[in-house]
Amino acid sequence: MTPAARRLPVSGDATASQRAIDPELAGGRPEAAATVAAPSRREEVPGRRALLGLGPPLAVGAGLALTWHVAARASGGDLVPTPGEVALAIGELAGKGVLLDYVVASLFRVSWGFGLAVLLGVPLGLALGWYPAAFRALNPVLQLLRPISPIAWIPLAILWFGVSDLAPIFLIFLASVLPIAMAAAAAVHGIPVVYLRAARNFGLKGPLLVTKVILPAALPQLLTGLRLALGVAWMVVVAAEMIAVTSGLGYLIVDARNAGKRYDLVVAGMLLIGVIGLLLDQGLRRLERSGHVQR
Amino acid sequence: MSQGPRDQTARSRTGLLLAAAAWALVTVLHGVLNLGWLSSEPKPRADALKVGFLPVTCHLTCPVTHFINEDLGGERWFEPLRFTGFPEIKEAFLSGDLPATFILAPMAIALREQGVPIKIVYLGHRDGTALVVRKDSEIFRTEQLKGKTIAVPGRFANQRLVLHRELKAKGLSLDDVKVVELSPPDMPAALYARAVDAITSGEPFMGQTELDGYGRVLWQAKDVWPGFISCVLAVNEREIARRRDVIQRLVDGIARSGLWLDADPKNRVAAAERAGPRYYHQDPRLLRYVLSQPPDRVTYSSLTPARADFEEIERLGLETGMLRGTAHFNDYVDTSFTPAADALKPWALEAKP
Amino acid sequence: MCSADGAFISVRNLSVDFQPVGVLDRVSFDVAQGELVCVVGPSGCGKSTLLNVLAGFQAPTAGSVRIGGAEVDGPDKSRIAVFQESAVFPWLTVEENVGFGLLGLSRGERRRRVAAGIERVGLGGFEHAYPPQLSGGMKQRAEVARALATQARVLFMDEPFGALDFLTRLKLRADLLDIWRAERQTIVFITHDVEEAVQLADRVLVLSRRPAAVVAEVRIDLGRPRDLDAPAYLRARDRILELLGVTRA
Repeated sequence: MTPAARRLPVSGDATASQRAIDPELAGGRPEAAATVAAPSRREEVPGRRALLGLGPPLAVGAGLALTWHVAARASGGDLVPTPGEVALAIGELAGKGVLLDYVVASLFRVSWGFGLAVLLGVPLGLALGWYPAAFRALNPVLQLLRPISPIAWIPLAILWFGVSDLAPIFLIFLASVLPIAMAAAAAVHGIPVVYLRAARNFGLKGPLLVTKVILPAALPQLLTGLRLALGVAWMVVVAAEMIAVTSGLGYLIVDARNAGKRYDLVVAGMLLIGVIGLLLDQGLRRLERSGHVQR
Repeated sequence: MSQGPRDQTARSRTGLLLAAAAWALVTVLHGVLNLGWLSSEPKPRADALKVGFLPVTCHLTCPVTHFINEDLGGERWFEPLRFTGFPEIKEAFLSGDLPATFILAPMAIALREQGVPIKIVYLGHRDGTALVVRKDSEIFRTEQLKGKTIAVPGRFANQRLVLHRELKAKGLSLDDVKVVELSPPDMPAALYARAVDAITSGEPFMGQTELDGYGRVLWQAKDVWPGFISCVLAVNEREIARRRDVIQRLVDGIARSGLWLDADPKNRVAAAERAGPRYYHQDPRLLRYVLSQPPDRVTYSSLTPARADFEEIERLGLETGMLRGTAHFNDYVDTSFTPAADALKPWALEAKP
Repeated sequence: MCSADGAFISVRNLSVDFQPVGVLDRVSFDVAQGELVCVVGPSGCGKSTLLNVLAGFQAPTAGSVRIGGAEVDGPDKSRIAVFQESAVFPWLTVEENVGFGLLGLSRGERRRRVAAGIERVGLGGFEHAYPPQLSGGMKQRAEVARALATQARVLFMDEPFGALDFLTRLKLRADLLDIWRAERQTIVFITHDVEEAVQLADRVLVLSRRPAAVVAEVRIDLGRPRDLDAPAYLRARDRILELLGVTRA
């Protein structure tokens, strides 16, 4: 409710400002121009404070590493590696020259699986979001496929794609295409109806409507969906590289199990997957921000 | 203004361009680093025969034949393809993408029963399986396995058959023990953590528990089932029709590699040193151990498929319900590749470290 | 172009059913060309539905809307709706928003119209700002400018200033009157604010509760600028409040 509405029943006490209905009096610069130059929150934080912001997470990380070290030592035996041993294992991988190879191999499979999923999932999802009939027809099938873990697809992936990079790419594609399509559909559903009405009012139809209004209006939510889907895609890399490939971080873990008592390599693989996952997420968050306008 | 006029679209475009550039960069790097796009190393021939194997000693003749072939300066007419498990091997074989592979004998027979055009052309090894308990365990005789939890590698693993055979010989059956399936690489840790009472699989995973000081061999397969076979070299029938000569060359090579491995302990050390880092990604010390302690822990001679051996597998497979008994020796074995006598001699090769 | 009786917008027996209670019940009224008509009614009575039907976003269950003699069967560039919740596109600058309805025009014509529209609503200097950087009032100004740029002869305004603070509303009302007096578009202006209606309109249509029907038409025969203390102003306002069932204590 606006102030004026609240005042409605009590009339006759209009103040001088209320009386200023004369256009001449009300002319001049638009109101509230001061809000325009308000800096975004990110820029309020100078470099030093951003650096200080890293303090707490680093402290938590150090605490966890310490707990891990103590627990690994206390467990007796030498199967569970300590953080130091894992660091050495990563050093060993780097020394053997496979660290970069494996990281690149995993990124390659994930970027292709995810990239193809974006190319197919986004248009599919936009269409599902736009055409209610398509949504009704396809949604049950998509919801049925969605809970099936990519691991369950491994046998079929090998049967269809044999032993090459294609099978893991296919698995990663599968894992990310449905979340992407669902996110795109939800993003279209979430477009404020006034934008669509305005677009229709100005005579927009067909491809122009998609590129000028639907896509940009859905973009913020879509980018969030893409970021989450990339997380899923990256998570699937271990399962995807269980297939006959001989490189990648997922393969590193499977391979380390074959190598006997090399659980330091297993944890090194886990840690590397986590760190790269974090970096990917950060990268997409940046992209997300660039596609975002604060609403 | 904090966000200039060009901001919005320009930043979106920059983001997209960066993503596309990263995609391209990763693709090129993968090509160079992992697919050898710029590599000047000799590449396998385009039609090189792909042969599947696992990093287990039962499949050792595969990498040995490969590196010896390289040492002899031969062209790369076959390409060993390292897998991580038998299910993946089986599926790759079914997809047609893997014409030849080392595979569990009962699995090959079962596939034949199901109508898969698979033929066993040669054996991969003999023996090389043990049943291991914890050093501090009270189990010293097979009979004491009663009621215990024993890990076997999988549904079609020969280890299940040898366990069945041995239990039966001692008046027990598989029903008297609790059998669980574990991937062999996970077995040592499971035994260490007392998750299971006994483990049985191919080497080097059994030897690993000994080397690390907590495992004790209850029996070696060779002692309870002489001439034990777990893995064989199997080939797609289409491939036999298409390039018999290449398969013959592979079988001959494997026969000679087997004899070479059994000819001199020095050869075994060399094989451990060469196969460990490059093909198995395992500590050569572990391979040296299982290839020498004792020297006949796993053997690579007399690899010609013999009817009696397979009929024994069939019989035990039927008894355990593993096989249906609808395929027989002549269905799933092609003995025509058995090397001629003059081919049956070890590589004339000094063991190179 | 106009119908025989001189009405430019002619609404006849318009009904919209929406279970369980109808939204509009045989609404009929006319609007003359260049007239500024306000529609008031209790909240939730179906004012917005009426506007959606007038603008062609929604089809009526029964009845008809004719504008300039032609049946309305969808939205059109010649009649632009302005909404309460800002419908300026946040991913476009003010300039791009204002030019949004002009995609078919030449670059020069487009630039001229955009500049004129922005100037008209007093947003000069903010051409390159994005809507999220603007205040609520400025966003509504941008939306009005977007409508003006198409040279639409009809504006449908659905509580366009409803979400703004009091002073801003006053300014925007004044500026709207200013524009209207210069360009004489036909305006149907929905509001729940009786003061606003009496300040702006030539004529006020009063709707009943759902299903809404036109219960009265109140002609505001006052010159502009309006004296908000004039007895005629207060009489008109009180009459409408009475029609809405709000009586003075």
